Amino acid sequence: MTNRIFVLLLVIAVAFLLLNLELGQSQENSPVFILGIILLVAYCLGFLLEKIGLPRIVGYILAGLFMGPFFLNIYTFSEVKDLNFINKLALAFIAFCAGGELRVANIRRVLKSIIYLIFGISAVVFLGITLSVFILSSYMPFMSQLSISVRFAIAAIFGIIAVARSPSSAIAIISETRAKGPYTDIVLSVSVAMDVFIIILFAVTISVAQVFISGSGGINLSFLLSLLIKITIAFSLGFLLGKFIVFLIEKVHVEFAIVIIAMGFVVIEFSHLLGYYLSEVHDIGLELEPLLICMAAGFTVQNFSKHGENFLQRMDRVSLPIYIAFFALTGAGIDLNVLRASWVLGLTIFLVRLASIYIGSYLSGRLAKSEPKIYKNVWLGFITQAGVSLGLLAEVSRRLPDIGMSIQTILVATIIMNQIIGPVAFKLGLKKVGEANV
Amino acid sequence: MKLLLSIVIIVVIAIVGSRLTFLNRRLPLGFRNIIFTGIEYIFLGMLLGKTGLNILDFRSLNNLEPMLIFGLSIIGFLFGLQFEFRGLRNLPRFFFSISAVQAIVAFIIITPTLYFSLRALFAFPHEIILIMALTLGSAACCTAQSALAIVNNNYKVKNRKFFSLLRYIASIDGLFALCFFSLAVSILTTATSEKFSLIGSLKWFLLSLAIGIMCALLLVILTNTRFTRQEFVVFLIGIVLFTGGLSIKTGSSPLVIGFICGFVYANLSKHRLRALAAIVHSERSIYIIMLIIIGAGWTPMFGNILIITCIYFGVRVIAKMTGTFAATRVFKSASKVPAAAGIGLLSEGGFAVAIIINFSLLYPSLSDYLVTVIIVSMFVNELLSPRLILSLFENPKPKKFIKIKKNGIR
Repeated sequence: MTNRIFVLLLVIAVAFLLLNLELGQSQENSPVFILGIILLVAYCLGFLLEKIGLPRIVGYILAGLFMGPFFLNIYTFSEVKDLNFINKLALAFIAFCAGGELRVANIRRVLKSIIYLIFGISAVVFLGITLSVFILSSYMPFMSQLSISVRFAIAAIFGIIAVARSPSSAIAIISETRAKGPYTDIVLSVSVAMDVFIIILFAVTISVAQVFISGSGGINLSFLLSLLIKITIAFSLGFLLGKFIVFLIEKVHVEFAIVIIAMGFVVIEFSHLLGYYLSEVHDIGLELEPLLICMAAGFTVQNFSKHGENFLQRMDRVSLPIYIAFFALTGAGIDLNVLRASWVLGLTIFLVRLASIYIGSYLSGRLAKSEPKIYKNVWLGFITQAGVSLGLLAEVSRRLPDIGMSIQTILVATIIMNQIIGPVAFKLGLKKVGEANV
Repeated sequence: MKLLLSIVIIVVIAIVGSRLTFLNRRLPLGFRNIIFTGIEYIFLGMLLGKTGLNILDFRSLNNLEPMLIFGLSIIGFLFGLQFEFRGLRNLPRFFFSISAVQAIVAFIIITPTLYFSLRALFAFPHEIILIMALTLGSAACCTAQSALAIVNNNYKVKNRKFFSLLRYIASIDGLFALCFFSLAVSILTTATSEKFSLIGSLKWFLLSLAIGIMCALLLVILTNTRFTRQEFVVFLIGIVLFTGGLSIKTGSSPLVIGFICGFVYANLSKHRLRALAAIVHSERSIYIIMLIIIGAGWTPMFGNILIITCIYFGVRVIAKMTGTFAATRVFKSASKVPAAAGIGLLSEGGFAVAIIINFSLLYPSLSDYLVTVIIVSMFVNELLSPRLILSLFENPKPKKFIKIKKNGIR
């Protein structure tokens, strides 16, 4: 343990010296420099936190945060933004893994619980947050002057974003603890399924809310059709991609992980480009969900070929640096000014969400007649929020430019709290049900 | 879009290429000296770059610079890992002596010749000419394994000990090239200030040494206790990125610092072979990526630089022959080595290319000049080398081509 502490301190000291004593020749940090520091420091901090029972990913997130502009100032926000492509690659990689971890045979055993949990948690969290924000709306400057219907519409947007969770954190914790069992399957399956479900729920909610907020026109249900097409295409492409991966495993002996990462990158960029092309040239608003494609591909390899375990093993070999880079960069992107500005409201929403998740999962578990140790602890696995929620917030800002930023400020504060507390809670849950193997 | 396309193209070519290049392929005579030696990727890069389809345009290449830094750092690290004292001691001592003498003599002959030739033909400042000459001098010391591999795969040669010596020299003379290149970069770093400063150069050298040793010690400390395979990947990638990043931050060479780090680690840690095994598979792909990027960024130059190329090529032949001849005369144990052994060491590439890429990173405005010299010379050398190597052996016989069936039964 002391050697990790030594490495941690030495790397930070070297970086700090280079930046502050002007030993360095170049003023800007090279991405190579930032990534190198992030990998070493985040690994060491994650290792140290694991020794005191916390999940490693909390260490990665905190390392990214501490080296950022609010503490050590080793890198700036814009330098972190330049590394955004790493996040894209990592997300695609994690999506492949998440899909690969879903085994139909295992899911079938706990299918009833999964379905009840998806609907139960979504309903309770949505209602809980919507009502709380509606009640609190008179204390929020940007909402206090609005009519009741508009306030309710905005509160519903808060509610729907609170439903989103983070499959990436779940998969990272599962990988770290080498967890296996029904509890793990339920949390992972629900998290992944929610990624699809939330897209539909969000599209419906924002469209209805937009009508109330703008006060004009009716609800155009054509978006539901486009959503359906979008999801169908994503699954079909994912299936084809999965079959291609199976072909690669069987016939071509290449550096597998690099190919998968490159594929993920292509999927992400292709989806954005296609969306851009369709909207600009043909005026069709159809942007594919790249992560759904990657998840479906992973799912196909696991369940429609005999290479599922081989696929996961190969991915696992290179997963650690990817998780470290992804979560440390997530931490590096945390803006503490946002947390400072709206921590009271953020904390309130965080606590209400926590309570709603607990109630929703407890009731769903009981209704589905799950094992008591599962329905009493499953809520611990659903706290984390990250990329999906931030993506939805960005969409809110785009579609509702007048109030989008205010919603974003409050919810980002909640997401930061969920990001840090969520992994700790999930690891605790895995330990409580005895499925953590570390 | 272009960046996406460039990354995809480069990665796909590198992965597929690493399966094809440098392997035991039998091609029609003439092709085999060029195809699958690595040169093809420079031309492929040219095709994709600004002189060809312009898919890899200036902006994309700029964005790919971190890949070059990482690549150089990892190549330096891998090269350093090969120099474990215990392993080196097992080989005959005169092998090392011949390698050293031929490299030093080659450098001593080539650098001044090029310095005066460049001075006569170009109106660059004195320091720039010196840096160019030193860099070309160090690149000229390197011998690539490709031509020797072609001969080994296609011909049965007697005198295996001599053949091993050639392979040994080809694998080790990069060490001397790297030392000379360090000298060049130390001058390059200090030449940017008002005048050349010996203390500045020394400071640069000590800083590089300190960074390399520190990074190696970090890796030693990290691998001192039990660790998993995944953690080892994190340590290696983290350290290689950190050395590369620090070198750019301090204006040093990622190749040099990577080498120092690998060298120190190889001699202080018991996990040298594990590290080699973990990285060695990616070496080909990284090398191919670098060749494509350098090809894409290269604008072929004509006029005086072609004269320099001819001089470089001619003097390198003379210098390699003189160096090896001198070595065989100095060391009694090497007296059985043919006096003209130097013509077996003309193949160029690999490390010489890495040196030029590193130079291009530090001095982009001079890149095209040096890349032109190295690529043209490399092309000619690869064409001639196999024949020249064969001329050193008595009656070499072509190997019979045996088709191996899929199940492995001949």
